Amino acid sequence: MSLDIDAVIDLLKQGKHVKEETVYTLCLRSQELLMSEANVTHVDTPVTICGDIHGQLHDLLTLFEKSGGVEKTRYVFLGDFVDRGFYSLESFLLLLCYKLRYPDRITLIRGNHETRQITKVYGFYDEIMRKYGNCNVWRYCCEVFDYLSLGAIINNSIFCVHGGLSPEINTLDEIRAIDRKQEVPHEGAMCDLLWSDPEEVDTWSLSPRGAGFLFGKSEVDKFLSTNNVELIARAHQLVMEGYKEMFDGGLVTVWSAPNYCYRCGNVAAVLRIEDDLQRNYTIFEAVQPQDGGGNAIIPTKKPQMDYFL
Amino acid sequence: MDRIIQQTDYDALSCKLAAIAKGYLPAPQFSDPNEIESYKLIHSAYFNTLKTHSRRIYGKINKSISSSFPVMNIGTYLRTVALDSQIETFLQKNDKVQIINLGCGSDLRMFQLLNKYDNLTKYLDLDFKDSIYFKNDILWNTELFRDTLHLERSNETDGELAHSDRYKLISCDLKDTTNTMTILQSLTDSQIPTLVITECLLCYMPQLESQTLINSIISFYRVGEWLSYDPIGGDQPNDRFGLIMQTNLRESRNLEMPTLMTFNSKESYASRWNIISNDIKTNIDIKDMWEIFNSDIEPTEKQRLKKLQFLDEFEELKVMQTHYVLLNAQWEHAL
Ligand SMILES: C[S@@+](CC[C@H](N)C(=O)[O-])C[C@H]1O[C@@H](n2cnc3c(N)ncnc32)[C@H](O)[C@@H]1O
Ligand SMILES: [Mn+2]
Repeated sequence: MSLDIDAVIDLLKQGKHVKEETVYTLCLRSQELLMSEANVTHVDTPVTICGDIHGQLHDLLTLFEKSGGVEKTRYVFLGDFVDRGFYSLESFLLLLCYKLRYPDRITLIRGNHETRQITKVYGFYDEIMRKYGNCNVWRYCCEVFDYLSLGAIINNSIFCVHGGLSPEINTLDEIRAIDRKQEVPHEGAMCDLLWSDPEEVDTWSLSPRGAGFLFGKSEVDKFLSTNNVELIARAHQLVMEGYKEMFDGGLVTVWSAPNYCYRCGNVAAVLRIEDDLQRNYTIFEAVQPQDGGGNAIIPTKKPQMDYFL
Repeated sequence: MDRIIQQTDYDALSCKLAAIAKGYLPAPQFSDPNEIESYKLIHSAYFNTLKTHSRRIYGKINKSISSSFPVMNIGTYLRTVALDSQIETFLQKNDKVQIINLGCGSDLRMFQLLNKYDNLTKYLDLDFKDSIYFKNDILWNTELFRDTLHLERSNETDGELAHSDRYKLISCDLKDTTNTMTILQSLTDSQIPTLVITECLLCYMPQLESQTLINSIISFYRVGEWLSYDPIGGDQPNDRFGLIMQTNLRESRNLEMPTLMTFNSKESYASRWNIISNDIKTNIDIKDMWEIFNSDIEPTEKQRLKKLQFLDEFEELKVMQTHYVLLNAQWEHAL
């Protein structure tokens, strides 16, 4: 089937319905493209690193607007495209369209939400059922999830990953050796990369999330020196200020979903890495989405009540 | 406006039923083993009768149960166990006591408390007329409640509410303090230690009316304890949680929380119970729910919660729970 990507991009930007067959073709093409990518993709500077998106389509559009846009800028997305927000499908498909249209401008890394199990709990599955009345589109997207990279390396100096480190991983080559084309397991290296969090701990500790580990400065320092990199850029944790550097600048958390879940009141950030590896953060706020006539779009059929009443 | 406020009861009920369905409630840390089954049983009995009473409400609740997020379930769990354990402490440390649940909605706490504590001489459930008749119909038409609570109704057709010696349903607008106090004076004893519960009630009331209610109750009962759970707007310069909450609730359902930004911190929220009087001694304790999560929930219990559903975002849980508080205010009149 032929695919007019620019036309699909136009539809998606307006949050309009995309036909099931179109999604199918889009997912198939994306899968073919992603299949050839390594577990850890090489990326050149300058590049803009983006954190969690979580279905907040209008904020994703703002993100592109504030950071130059995919026509002019290279991007690494650290995962968690779907769940929680009301436009998971549109957000994910828009990124796939850009990936197909500008393959070397955009790198997509898998987040812990890009799995069958998590999307069933956190909204993406329900969103597809609401929008299509069956789960085919959800299945196509999940197939693509299995092919997303696990990480990226910028100029051999900055390691990008969704969650963090794993006690089973010392070197980038060990990540390269993982068989990534599968549903994210409940434990082990692949799971940890997508679930772990940095914390002020002395050594590997249990995570309060139920998967992955907590790791501290010593684990980060060791990873940086073993692999001869200077920074770990990751997402996965809401940061009210949009980003947070830790461990003497050896790790940064970037969060790109402003006013997370339409209620947390946080700002969002993206991190631009220049050719000399200088770090520039851009902060942006949530916009009230508007329709063509300038009216506020309030997502109808709210799937969830948001507060304790 | 009152109708919109009444509907928040279905939210509270959905949240509780969802937390039960997913296994968060009842909590082994806070329940006797024999209470666990009965807790689930009474809630499903209530929900089943509700189905025959209103298909529409049943459908609405059912839908939100099926898509409940872990952050919400953990929050509901916290709210419930934190209140429950303070209620039990009160019941255990006093001899004869009475409980007044203001804005009771569909809360079913009376069931287990009346069964378990003989020293609980009176349990009063108060809410708006429609909410009380809704609850009355469900309780009366559920054998389990009718039998165990020993409910009676001599004149059903006249709209008389189901009741027992110890349990009363009372329809009244709590904004009308004079009427509320007349009712309380006629049904309770001002000399018996009294526990007042307001679980998400005061946030819906105007400032003046809620203050008058607090003052009147504290002056009437000689010894008492007030447990109050509510959201607070937040008072830090960059904290926008409360303002966003007000906007969201207004835009999505026309619901107002008039004092959310007035009592926006633990201190300002608690100040309402700080009665300045030579004759009344008060002792106030207030914690936000995040503090309660960190201090009162045992490691084994946290371990259990974590296994129920993957919690995807801890910071979000913290943001939410630091904006809800549980107050405990104790007072005693000089003799
Ligand atoms: C969110 S519900 C909470 C129900 C219950 N306390 C719980 O936590 O499960 C709020 C309840 O307060 C009641 N309420 C609010 N304002 C009231 C008023 N002025 N008079 C009587 N009831 C009121 C509502 O009808 C509703 O049932
Ligand atoms: Mn994540």
